[in-house]
Amino acid sequence: MAQQRKALWEADLDEELHDVDLNIAIGNYGQNGLYDDAQPRIDEPTLLAVQHQVAQQAALAQIPDAVKRFIVHFHQAVLDNNLSEITVAYESGWNRLTEKFYAKTEWPEAEIIAPLVNDDQIFLILYRELYYRHVYSRIQPDIDDRFHSYENSCELFNYLLNSDGPVPLELPEQWLWDIIDEFIYQFQSFCVWRSKVKPKTDEELMLLADAGQAWSSYSVLNVLYSLIQKSKINEHLTALQEGKSADEIVEIVGEYGTKPLYRMLGYFSLIGLLRVHSLLGDFTLALKVMESVELNQKINKTADRMYALFAVCNALSPSRVDDNISNTMKEKYGEQFTKMSRGEEGIPAFEELFLYACPKFISANPPPYEDAELLQAHIEELPVEPAQRHLSLFLSDVRAQAPVPTLRSFLKLYTSLDAKKLSNFLDADEEEMVQQLMVMKQASRSISRVENEKGLLGGQMISTSDLDFVIDENMVHIAESTVGRRYAGWFIRNTEHAQRVYDTVHNSPLPIPPKSASQVKADAAAAPPSAAPVSQRTGQRVAWGGNVKAA
Amino acid sequence: MVSASAWATPSTRTELIENLVSGVDRYNPSNVGILEDYLYHQIRSEEYDCLANLAILKLYQFNPDLYNPDVVINILIKALTSLPFPDFNLCISLLDERSASTNPDEPDPLPLLLPVLISLHNLLQQCRFPAFWTLYRSEKAESLRDNYTVECVGFEDSVREVVIRGVKAAFKSIRMERLGNYLNLSDEDLNGYVAKLGWSIEASTGVVSIPPNPDNQIESTVVQEQIELPLTFA
Repeated sequence: MAQQRKALWEADLDEELHDVDLNIAIGNYGQNGLYDDAQPRIDEPTLLAVQHQVAQQAALAQIPDAVKRFIVHFHQAVLDNNLSEITVAYESGWNRLTEKFYAKTEWPEAEIIAPLVNDDQIFLILYRELYYRHVYSRIQPDIDDRFHSYENSCELFNYLLNSDGPVPLELPEQWLWDIIDEFIYQFQSFCVWRSKVKPKTDEELMLLADAGQAWSSYSVLNVLYSLIQKSKINEHLTALQEGKSADEIVEIVGEYGTKPLYRMLGYFSLIGLLRVHSLLGDFTLALKVMESVELNQKINKTADRMYALFAVCNALSPSRVDDNISNTMKEKYGEQFTKMSRGEEGIPAFEELFLYACPKFISANPPPYEDAELLQAHIEELPVEPAQRHLSLFLSDVRAQAPVPTLRSFLKLYTSLDAKKLSNFLDADEEEMVQQLMVMKQASRSISRVENEKGLLGGQMISTSDLDFVIDENMVHIAESTVGRRYAGWFIRNTEHAQRVYDTVHNSPLPIPPKSASQVKADAAAAPPSAAPVSQRTGQRVAWGGNVKAA
Repeated sequence: MVSASAWATPSTRTELIENLVSGVDRYNPSNVGILEDYLYHQIRSEEYDCLANLAILKLYQFNPDLYNPDVVINILIKALTSLPFPDFNLCISLLDERSASTNPDEPDPLPLLLPVLISLHNLLQQCRFPAFWTLYRSEKAESLRDNYTVECVGFEDSVREVVIRGVKAAFKSIRMERLGNYLNLSDEDLNGYVAKLGWSIEASTGVVSIPPNPDNQIESTVVQEQIELPLTFA
């Protein structure tokens, strides 16, 4: 009897259990927060967006208060066009906070701080400009950073160039310069990075194959040329040089050119073009764009590289230069200079200094990422790096002049000398030596600004050497130009020295001779009461006559 | 000697070309044809315009599909004749390294001819004129002569002008024989050439006198200080 009942129970239970939907029993409240199927479920993308927003709010909360206050303040200054406040925020505020909180990490992303500035897209573009500059300088940018910084730059320039009329923005000059400077730097950095095919990941290769116009030479040049055209900066500079009045200039440059923002961006873009053309190896175009600009004589931050270039130039074309420059140069590069002045053996020194001082040349064209076959061929036969190409061009010019220093040193010893004799001294073939003399002549000639020639491509041929010669059939006649004895400087210095001695003597009290008291009284009574002697005795200062002028 | 401003803006350049060279239209790839035609005009008419030719090379730099090796070779040939201006090296600076040629049917002649052109340039730059002519007449330069310089009107005379520039800067007078070696001319050709230059030959000695010019007149100078003394003393 009992056995029968058990079987019934089991059968019943099984039947009942089969109908139970376990899912309903477990319930939905964990995942969707919904009980009924009547309401539509939230779909995946919306869910992700909500999660994203929550994450951003959390990130925003984590930002230090000082940074948040700074951002709000900065934003307000930009809205108000308060140039002095913007300058302070830009020059010290940002850097201070970077040092304090973001020395080794990125600033918060623009999306995170957007709520602080009411999603002001223009401010966020400016913010991103600073954000990426920080990334490039303190942290290595990855491929996404590179493409995004390019997009941000495009948005910024698009805003500036393609809005309805000039934008109502005012930014400090330093920032405007930095925008252009950084844009070109990022371009150059991208080109260098892009040319290294080997260490790229597959993902990077794919992205590069689709890169299109990002960071292309054309886009970069387009930006610079557009800024120049919009601001009419060349016309502006020409008008200034022609002495046109302020009103005339306003007419000429139009609504964009009168605004300082556009004027400065245009001007800085001229210099930017100079840089980009040099990077691409187009030196004549680099010089041509500077036609209207008058350069200052200031030595800038890259003084070391300039001294290196100066050493190179002076070794190739010795001429008289200011002592100060010459001394500083010898301090830094004395060793290389001596070697470079000796012709062929100086070639390694030329190479060293050239590579140190030259622009970071880039290639205009990327490796063929779009075509896998071509890319493979490219890797197998790597083209020569641009810097090496330019170096070998430079060295070939140097080698052409290699015989010159030796010839110079011999010619200095004579006023006239037969070519045959000279070649004997040099232990060289006479005809070869005559040809080298012609080279020397050419090497001592250079195009230089003599009068007020416009632009950097103008000038006349002048001699740069203090040693000159001419060949009369087979006789070499030599002429040296020397510096007459300089006496003016010596004369002036010694006159000033005498003046100083003179002044010191007169301003000093005379030593009072030891006398008895009665003698002093007698002397005082006897001496004519004139101001000068009495003052001397009492040791007061004397002023004599007027200044004695040295001629 | 061409002055710097004439080098930058030759009088033979038309307004159309001037606008191209000086404006942003130089970057427009569809203008390359105009500039290439201008190059061929220079080749046929013994004219020369360095900046216009550099503009072609720049377009090739940015648009590798426009690359035409014959144009490049002709530009380099013309640049050779511009010494001592640095045109040849300026051109080379704009020739970016090319990826391996993709078209086996039309082999690129430039890689073969470039070393010869560079050697010719270096020889001219180093004033090694006899060596220049030897290389130029040799087998190595055969392809260059037969396919290119033959088309360039007056090429050899233009090179002779380079030689004359070098010679007249360094010499007051020079033996006919030496001059002949430099010019790759002899006998009547040489006499005729010298006569055309207007240089006089001293028949008995065989020495040519070169007219005075700023380079071959030398004098020792002493650079004196300029001191201005005021006429009155305070």
